[in-house]
Amino acid sequence: MIRTPAIDWLTLAPSLALLAATIASLMSAVLVPERRRKNVSWFFCLAGYAGAFAAAAILFDRSPHSRGVIANALFRDRYGALAAMIVAGVGLLTTLVYYGERSTVDRVGERFALLASAGGGMILFAQSANLLTLFLGLEWLSISLYVLCALERERPEAIEAGFKYLIVGGFSSAILVFGAAFVYGATGTLNLAQIAGKAPSGDLFLVTGLAMILVGFAFKASAAPFHTWTPDVYQGAATPVSGFMAGATKAVALLVALRVLSLSFSAQEHLWTSAAAVLAVASLVVGNLAALVQRDLKRMLAYSSISHAGFLLFAIAAASSLGTRALLYYLIPYGAASVGVFALAALHERELGEPATLDNLAGFGWRRPLSGIALWIFMLSFAGFPLTGGFVGKVYLFAAAYRSGWTWLLIVGAVATLVSLGYYLAVVRAIYMRPVPDEEAAAKEEPPLLDRMLSTAVFAAVVVTVGSFFAVQPLIDLAKHAASQLPL
Amino acid sequence: MLGPAIAWYLVVGSAIFAIGAAGVMLRRNPLIMLLSLELMLNGANLVLIAFARRHGSLDGQVFALAVMAVAAAEVVVGLGLVVAMARRKIEIDVDLLSRLRK
Repeated sequence: MIRTPAIDWLTLAPSLALLAATIASLMSAVLVPERRRKNVSWFFCLAGYAGAFAAAAILFDRSPHSRGVIANALFRDRYGALAAMIVAGVGLLTTLVYYGERSTVDRVGERFALLASAGGGMILFAQSANLLTLFLGLEWLSISLYVLCALERERPEAIEAGFKYLIVGGFSSAILVFGAAFVYGATGTLNLAQIAGKAPSGDLFLVTGLAMILVGFAFKASAAPFHTWTPDVYQGAATPVSGFMAGATKAVALLVALRVLSLSFSAQEHLWTSAAAVLAVASLVVGNLAALVQRDLKRMLAYSSISHAGFLLFAIAAASSLGTRALLYYLIPYGAASVGVFALAALHERELGEPATLDNLAGFGWRRPLSGIALWIFMLSFAGFPLTGGFVGKVYLFAAAYRSGWTWLLIVGAVATLVSLGYYLAVVRAIYMRPVPDEEAAAKEEPPLLDRMLSTAVFAAVVVTVGSFFAVQPLIDLAKHAASQLPL
Repeated sequence: MLGPAIAWYLVVGSAIFAIGAAGVMLRRNPLIMLLSLELMLNGANLVLIAFARRHGSLDGQVFALAVMAVAAAEVVVGLGLVVAMARRKIEIDVDLLSRLRK
């Protein structure tokens, strides 16, 4: 007779809600008559994300102490719960944006099922307490995203993006598994909390494993030099999906990386903080310089997300409680602004029927005053201007890096912020200050497309982006409660 | 303990992983790339099982089983994409998959 472990259902609730939503939208893609199929599938996906958010909030409230549950496979703690809330929030907004996306094939039910499924995987990944659940969560989210990227199979770009993502994603997970195997070899355990202290800190197997696990995470967080897939995939995937990947996938990859490194590899701190600093500088340099020369909006945003991976890596390099708080805080406005900006790109694309570029954005701000202001706000938040959450987040990250003695990293970060103004403000300039060609102006006389769902999502994203500046204290308290559960 | 020492399994596992990694990076045919991905994962599996034997614990073997299941799922998606590419007459050569670079 095998003793089965006690199941803590509340810990599982956020990912179970999304799993249920996946099954329900997939079934309705088959069973519901075609006319109402989209609405029903969409509703289940939205309900799944709303349920996951509520469950994660309750979990946050009821987990004042971190502990392993279900045979130590998952953590029940506030860190994982806050990560789940960020994922669910980003997913909720993405579901709203995705509603109006046109489709060349009849795949409207599947897309919501896959979107819900990817979110479920992310939450399991964020809560994982041993290397096996970590790997399963990672693959759950990745495989859903591969298919989601390639879903519009009438568009060759989509298949290309999906295939590239699959090869690079599979490559990085294989490296991560290989690293996990060596960590297991050195310590004899897969449990994250027990890895530390099981082997001498300079053990060859352990350090090799650490390096390979770090590379696996860097691929997922699209930090340079492991970023090469990012622009192609973001450009080829459906625009709302790119926003989801920028806002949620990067967030969980970095949060889980910080958890694994601080919990399991505390003895090797000097190694991984230096590695994180190198990755941060590489990402800032590559992301910013490449973003400057892009004309395609989605490609530019992909490089901007690479440079943001650089900023967020400051928190891992700092390896302090302050850094953890900064990371958790910054991911809130960053996630909202990512979804928002890709939503506006999607809106523009749907109107034009072609990819958004800096050239065809001319006049966008005059034609759609409110959307123009929203785009402006998101750009300012990415660049780190006051009155947006991006400002507080950046100050916080810089302070964490400074406290931990990374002065030169701070200088690189400051220069990178200045350079980033070049392309963020270029978007603002494009939407307001570019002359609109006459024939185009005539063509655009027809009233702009109205999409209530998308407008709601953009409005919510603006509220979060700006609100996180004015409501700093409650959010930082949340981050503080969550961060105090990591051993930093 | 019967059979060769653990070190030999590690050498073979690492060699298979390295061959797979080289295959993903150097070969240009999507099918061969998928095969190479499988090689990488199976190299990792061999290492996991060898270490499980050394530690006398089952964790590594369970991990290897999970990796096999996941690898199968990944290949299903990969082959599906290869078929979709073939149907749309997209060149089955990764060097030519450059529509996204303009």
